[in-house]
Amino acid sequence: MTKKIERVRAGEKVFDWLLLLFSVGVLYEAYRIDNGVQLNSAGSFPVGLALIMLASSIAILFSHRRKQRDPQIRSAAQEFKVFLNEHFKPHIVVFSIVSILYLVAIVWTSFYISTFIFLAAMFIYYRQGKVISSLVIASLAIAVIYVLFTIVFRVYLP
Amino acid sequence: MSDTFSYLLMAWLDPGLLGLTALGVIAGIYIGAIPGLSVTMAVSILISFTFSWEINNALALMVGIYVGGVYGGSRTAILLNIPGAPSAVTTAFDGYPLAQKGEAGKAIGLSTVMSVIGGLIGVVVLAATAPHLANLALKFAPRDYFLIAAMGLLLVSSLSGKSLARGIFSVALGATIGLVGMDMVTAQPRLTMGSMELLGGIHYVVVMIGLFGVAEAFYQLHNIAKVPVKQNVDKIVPPLNMVLKFLPLSLRTSIIGVVVGALPGTGGDIASLFAYDHAKRTVKNPEVPFGEGAYEGLVAPETANNAAVGGAYVPMLTLGMPGDAVTAVIIGALVIHGLNPGPMLMIETPYIFWFTVGNLALANIFLLIFGLTGIKLFSKIVEVPKAIMIPLILVLCVVGTYSLNSSMTEVYWMLGFGILGYWLKMFGFQMGPIILGVILGPLLDQSYRQAMSSVGDSSVDFLLALVNNPLSLVLTSVIVLVLLGNTPLKGWLYSRFKRS
Repeated sequence: MTKKIERVRAGEKVFDWLLLLFSVGVLYEAYRIDNGVQLNSAGSFPVGLALIMLASSIAILFSHRRKQRDPQIRSAAQEFKVFLNEHFKPHIVVFSIVSILYLVAIVWTSFYISTFIFLAAMFIYYRQGKVISSLVIASLAIAVIYVLFTIVFRVYLP
Repeated sequence: MSDTFSYLLMAWLDPGLLGLTALGVIAGIYIGAIPGLSVTMAVSILISFTFSWEINNALALMVGIYVGGVYGGSRTAILLNIPGAPSAVTTAFDGYPLAQKGEAGKAIGLSTVMSVIGGLIGVVVLAATAPHLANLALKFAPRDYFLIAAMGLLLVSSLSGKSLARGIFSVALGATIGLVGMDMVTAQPRLTMGSMELLGGIHYVVVMIGLFGVAEAFYQLHNIAKVPVKQNVDKIVPPLNMVLKFLPLSLRTSIIGVVVGALPGTGGDIASLFAYDHAKRTVKNPEVPFGEGAYEGLVAPETANNAAVGGAYVPMLTLGMPGDAVTAVIIGALVIHGLNPGPMLMIETPYIFWFTVGNLALANIFLLIFGLTGIKLFSKIVEVPKAIMIPLILVLCVVGTYSLNSSMTEVYWMLGFGILGYWLKMFGFQMGPIILGVILGPLLDQSYRQAMSSVGDSSVDFLLALVNNPLSLVLTSVIVLVLLGNTPLKGWLYSRFKRS
């Protein structure tokens, strides 16, 4: 019987190394709470947690020894390319950028204006140019949000 | 006694609560069914809108969404082979083959009835066991709370994903996030990196919305163009003889569901896996093999995941420990309303417990009604394209987060957690353990420090107390067994046992 070999995803190893670094950072911050390690103090539990994170991130990195890279990926450059293709597809990048712009715009314009522009832009982009129906859906969504959150739930909006 | 009955029937007799429970169940069925929306996401967002409401109204809506959502995931699992929720993954194994044979209606009807049976059994067990457990919990020492929380986190680490190391990392990360801010005992800043803004800590609802809402929205972008295959559904009320035929299996898997659901940190997804495995092992001659459209493979997980709802409430209401991610969020709602989930809840505010029991039972009745009707409308609504749904999820997350404290900084934090959650999810980390860590981290910290203080800060005495007290010894043994069960020692012992 052949054992199923786990595949390591493009970028997974780098991500797991970053987690290890992050754990070291948390350990440093936790250590600074008491400037030392004590058994019962404000810093004792955070230090313990940071050590657990550190140990588990080392274990995660060790687990890569049982995994194999996709046979089609032969070099780090190729892996980077696969990583970019997988996670930085145009529709993901566009959504990320427009989302950040939307959150920034909320502060400058009002919530409803920025939300309408965000929704309309995303609907038009994802629905490949169905402008009229996208604008109608965005307007309907804004109307529902207004009724639900401003009138029914009385939520304070930005 | 009469007080208990009046609390129990409160949701049944008040038109407003009846309406909110019904609304919650309907909303839950759709939220659970639409892949990309989850009950945890919905309840997390809902907390921020309902914290100014009366607690009963907020709880009625949340309970309805929870019960409806756990069931709703099965609908799309059967119709589209896309489980709407993790607890419906096993439902798809036999549900979708049944739909392909043209038996989707019967499968949905049967899963509805079985879900209700499971749900009601869960409620009965909750009502029967929780008061006794709460009495027992009053005798727990801080170290026992520490051990129970640690056991819950360890269980969720080992059961919720493929890798124990990743599970433990997620839990520790969540607990670390939960500790950010000023220490409640010494007023020292902890893990704030010198930031004044972090002194107040990171609101767990912000973390929840980020991890379950924004991260899921980003994750769903990978399947934005996926178009589900439609199924025709007509008659869905199952014949009585069919229900009676599967009743014994449903009763057995209900018990599995309640027990697994009651383990702190587990939930309907794990319960349904256990129940499916049980059905496969115990049903010797199914009419159709498992995985090819066996009704037994549908009944077992559907009963168990709804029974797990009642089970998940047991540790939440008696110990203040969430049974799963949704009850972790509901604990947050109770705390926001000034309540104290745990053994004192039964003494200080018993009406909350009995109200929840009555409300859960009512939600199951509504589930039966709405589960067996409106299927035509349902098949239209679940076809909402992701192109429309994903931007709307982000807007809901923004509204939910902002309404907590009217703070744009928290909205940015929410986005940050969403992005972190996306990458963690992409590389095999689960979101549930992180949230449970956020909720249980401060409790672990507090009970650990109390336990240490009670033994004069002596580590030797602390370790001795773990084995000298019977309850602590049992809990410590479970923790050791769970840990050993995830090491190569388990395989070695198993092979030795087989050989002998």
